[in-house]
Amino acid sequence: MIIFHGDQVELARVMKEEVKKDLKNCLEEAQQYFRTVSGPKLTLVIDGKCLMYALDPSLRVMLLNLSLNCTSVVCCRVSPLQKAQVTSLVKKGARKITLSIGDGANDVSMIQAAHVGVGISGLEGMQAVMASDFAIAQFRFLSDLLLVHGRWSYLRICKVVTYFFYKNLTFTLTQFWFTFQTGFSGQRFYDDWFQSLYNVMFTSLPVIIYGLLEKDVSASLSKKYPQLYMEGIRNSFFRWRVVAAWAFSAIYQSLIFYHFVTTSSLTGQNSSGRTFGLWDVSTVAFTCVVVTVNLRLLMMCNSITRWHYVSVGGSILAWFVFVFVYSLIRENILYVIYVVMSTFYFYLAFLLVPTVALLLDFIRQGVQRWFFPYDYQIVQEIHRHEPDDNTRAGALEISNHLTADEARSFAISQLPRETSRHTGFAFDSPGYESFFASQQGVYAPQKAWDVVRRASMRSKLKAPPLPPKK
Amino acid sequence: MADRGGTSSGGGGNGAPELAKKSRKPKYSRFSQQELPACKPILTPGWVITAFISIGVIFIPIGLASLFASQRVVEIVDRYDRDCIPRNVSDDGVGFIEDAKANKTCVRTLTVQKQMKSPIYVYYQISNFYQNHRRYVKSRDDKQLWSPKNERSSSDCKPEDFTSNGQPIIPCGLIAWSMFNDTYKFSVKDKVLEVNKKGIAWKSDREHKFGSDVYPKNFQSGALIGGAKLNSSIPLSQQEDLIVWMRPAALPTFRKLYGKIEVDLEPNDNITVIIENNYNTYSFGGNKKLVLSTTSWMGGKNDFLGVAYLTIGGLCLFLAISFILVYVLKPRPLGDPSYLSWNRNAAGHLN
Repeated sequence: MIIFHGDQVELARVMKEEVKKDLKNCLEEAQQYFRTVSGPKLTLVIDGKCLMYALDPSLRVMLLNLSLNCTSVVCCRVSPLQKAQVTSLVKKGARKITLSIGDGANDVSMIQAAHVGVGISGLEGMQAVMASDFAIAQFRFLSDLLLVHGRWSYLRICKVVTYFFYKNLTFTLTQFWFTFQTGFSGQRFYDDWFQSLYNVMFTSLPVIIYGLLEKDVSASLSKKYPQLYMEGIRNSFFRWRVVAAWAFSAIYQSLIFYHFVTTSSLTGQNSSGRTFGLWDVSTVAFTCVVVTVNLRLLMMCNSITRWHYVSVGGSILAWFVFVFVYSLIRENILYVIYVVMSTFYFYLAFLLVPTVALLLDFIRQGVQRWFFPYDYQIVQEIHRHEPDDNTRAGALEISNHLTADEARSFAISQLPRETSRHTGFAFDSPGYESFFASQQGVYAPQKAWDVVRRASMRSKLKAPPLPPKK
Repeated sequence: MADRGGTSSGGGGNGAPELAKKSRKPKYSRFSQQELPACKPILTPGWVITAFISIGVIFIPIGLASLFASQRVVEIVDRYDRDCIPRNVSDDGVGFIEDAKANKTCVRTLTVQKQMKSPIYVYYQISNFYQNHRRYVKSRDDKQLWSPKNERSSSDCKPEDFTSNGQPIIPCGLIAWSMFNDTYKFSVKDKVLEVNKKGIAWKSDREHKFGSDVYPKNFQSGALIGGAKLNSSIPLSQQEDLIVWMRPAALPTFRKLYGKIEVDLEPNDNITVIIENNYNTYSFGGNKKLVLSTTSWMGGKNDFLGVAYLTIGGLCLFLAISFILVYVLKPRPLGDPSYLSWNRNAAGHLN
């Protein structure tokens, strides 16, 4: 047993040595366990006082190595600063994406230090919520946040971004192929209003609906198969391979649109032998582009709601309504659509061109789905016969079917809580010996002001509880 | 459960609290909670094969019908710009064309291979002529063509908008200025074949784009003549050659309708064509062809659509058969959990 009087520097140095020795022992032990294949799962438990020394720059790396080797790490009695320091250590040292969740003001620095900060609104106030990226009401909602909404968001963002690039690439490349045959003079293939409204009116709404409502598997299945989350960690939907496949599809489709429509436009187009001009050909091509791009979106949907049909059908309908009205007004496009739609050629091309354009994607989807399926596709197939769990009971409400464990923990959480001895705006309370320090036989004297504070708190607790109301 | 924070922990033994605590739950709607009923299609092999077979079954008859229609069309194509220059100036085509006093008449003979039923359409086909060039397409004024009130042409028509003394040119612009002016006269067995030049332009152009009270004015009056001259007493809506020419073509090789012959032509007929070889395609290396063609319900002779339909239909049937083979040889039970990636790796299962 070693008792120090007053020499803080000496005390710190000795503590540091002890901690270093301990860490080294633990690290060796952990590595030894790891060498055996089916070793037990390891947990590191470290408290605030120890952490104060372990986060020293010379020991930090060892601490990180040890922590990463363990399945979980419990740091107790830590100050807010240490929380932030541990988070930054993992964030920068291990270079992983970190998420921190907390409910009190002492968690604010930790929430801000991590990549994703989640605040719980509740008993301790709204400080954590105000500093966080996401706010939830109860701790158990974290699983929904990650496994359901996080996963869906990742899927939706990937698909929306790649689809957006694809649809614009297709549209623009048809113009590009045209420049080769205009003497490189820069003549546009489509009328300028067609081009301007392409992204605004004719192809925008379906992708918005997709981004809002797309689900690969339902919420309950997402929680039942948490390994599906690995698709996001592995970045399966946004690799270069995926982007290149979309780009190739766009190039192929633009070639189909341009060449199929122009090659068949040389001769007379109807039984009275009249020929098409530039604007007729480009209107046919544009119609095919709009229809194909919208149908492609439907092809990539995993769950199709009424709004998908409305938006896709509505966009195509908007195109036809627009061009019927526009070709009565604009001089160079005058009556073009009526001329074009009076020939059999238009209907033949309208059936052929989108089918050929979508054929490659259809083949690719069929082959991918069957021979190289993603995990979520297998899960969809496993549960394909179950009805949708869209009832309210499937949502985050406490439903009638709790398991025994869940019921017990719910009952415990309903008991009246003990008010804690510490203020919650906790900075490290000095004078409280850590359990581990006392194991080592190291004590530090109490500070005067802390003794007084504790005495005043204890007297507050002695007040009798209110009598229960009848 | 979400309201727990609102109730007090000390009291609350009463049945109903005096003040109803307002719930802070957001308003429920199926859209905002993403609980809309949805159709969740799964692309099983059955669907893939069904889709391919139905595409094949629909496309092959359409392809056959289109190809048959196109094959029934009889077409005679004759390139005449090389041979219609007299031999002594054959290496100076440009000079010959620009010589206003040279004799541009040329006589060609075409032989009919198969019977051509009337109406037979006469086209002129030009290649390497970029009617889709940006400056060219821009160079017109549609408002001026429609109404005599808009005589003052827009600046898009430069340099063919005003004469040297500031008079407006109607119709203005390079498209009108470069109008095609070769003419063709046909005769078979010394009998002249009438070429009907009415109705060669689209009806919407004649009625809605070119005004019936707009007359050509100051047209081709400058030093540089680009093409045909127009009769200034005929309104634009009846100048069908101009209307046909002013519909800019999409590609540098294009055909435009010249007229119709409303007489049947029998096989082995020799058609004598008297061509006035006026139009200058020599300075840019273009070539001119005369085309006589019948039409079908689909239009002129274009095998492309028919061939495309047949090819795609055949390809889809081939794909259906090959997919059936592949699914039979390498089956995968639908919804088998052992194909999940975590189960696969654990069991050492190689797909």
